[in-house]
Amino acid sequence: MAQSELHPCARWPGETLSAYLDGDLPPEQSAEVHAHLDGCAACAAVLAQLGALAGAARRLDLPEPPPTLWMAVEGAAERHDRPWWRSLRLFAVGATAGAAAVSVAALGLSWHAHRLSAASTAEVAPPPALAAQVAPDPLLDEAEAELAHAAAAYEKSIEKLRSLLEREEPRWSPDERARCAERLAQLDEAIAHSRELARRSPGDATDSDQLFAAYRQKIEFLAEAVHRGGTFREAAPGR
Amino acid sequence: MAVKPPQTAMLGVTAVNAIEGLLAPVEARSPADDGALIASVKRGDPGSREALYHRYKRRVYGLALRIVGAGDAEEVAQEAFIRIFRGLPKFRGDAALSTWIYRLAVNAALSHRTRRAGARLPVDDNQAEAGIDGQAAAEPVGGDAVLRTRLERALAELPAGYRTVVVLHDVEGLEHEEIAQILNCHVGTSKSQLHKARARLRAILAAGGITASALEND
Repeated sequence: MAQSELHPCARWPGETLSAYLDGDLPPEQSAEVHAHLDGCAACAAVLAQLGALAGAARRLDLPEPPPTLWMAVEGAAERHDRPWWRSLRLFAVGATAGAAAVSVAALGLSWHAHRLSAASTAEVAPPPALAAQVAPDPLLDEAEAELAHAAAAYEKSIEKLRSLLEREEPRWSPDERARCAERLAQLDEAIAHSRELARRSPGDATDSDQLFAAYRQKIEFLAEAVHRGGTFREAAPGR
Repeated sequence: MAVKPPQTAMLGVTAVNAIEGLLAPVEARSPADDGALIASVKRGDPGSREALYHRYKRRVYGLALRIVGAGDAEEVAQEAFIRIFRGLPKFRGDAALSTWIYRLAVNAALSHRTRRAGARLPVDDNQAEAGIDGQAAAEPVGGDAVLRTRLERALAELPAGYRTVVVLHDVEGLEHEEIAQILNCHVGTSKSQLHKARARLRAILAAGGITASALEND
């Protein structure tokens, strides 16, 4: 439909009639429009439509935002408020433990290579009776010591993050605290299981890797919880 | 700021808000006036930010929804609130809190549109239509809901500048002086934009067969 069909009178455009409606025209022009409206049904209809339109707009609802909006706002605001050194501290906590794990992994690989080498020379190994008299493998001892050292570094990092978390948790809802405790219990169980496997086969790189992965998962979860508050993501337990 | 009087048509919404208020302890504890709430946020009182959020969430989200559409409204509202919380410590009270909040919300919405355009992502003025349609679809199908949907669609067809002024003036009920502060323009510009926008809106609705009496009965 053409504009002219919608408003067949060309005397006053819709915007002037809207201004007339709100009292925004100068007095002389307002009087002129007023006089015109008496004899022009088309302009009177447009004016009525404009008035009805403004009224209908005023009755439109203010929509309710999704319930997730506050959580997103709060999380983003906290990230913005966090002092730079605190982010650095979280990074440093993870980095220290990570460095210890790297050294253990390297040692584990060396030990694994050493074990393969030993297996290849098994044909010339001394008989069992003599084996007891053979001095303990120094590389194995070193691997065990490094494992304990790395585990201690992880534990220390976890302890630091736990203390940060304890300061944050009182601000969470009971439900958020319960979910966090449940997730931590799962992670602790995974660590205990991996630690037992690593204890049974010292120097086995696969078992120590699994233990470090469990530690890292707990550190990541704690850092996430400290960082994001009660809105931490629920990482899959078997990740 | 001009506050819209409660409308009979919004009675249901008002009642729901009242119930929500009872269930929202943070809101219930929040200071009644904006000045006290600002002071509370500046002091870092627990729950004060949340109280501010609940006081303005519908206005900020509604504005975002109508300017950028449903797809981006949540992101824009989030950005607006971040700007609000970041800027509040420096807020001196030269303007009313609501005016200042509207300004940040409008800026967040318009800069979001600019970014999208700059990134060559489709800037779809009809996103708002899709969003409002989605909301209207949840309502019982009836004459009022259909008319509201048609009106929201017509709003979504307006250029963003026109749409912003109509939303601020006719939907949110702000005065031109406040709109001029929010948009950083002259009062006369706000008025002329509004009248042009209304004329175009009326033409869109009339082309769709929506009459004055239909709108009045909404």
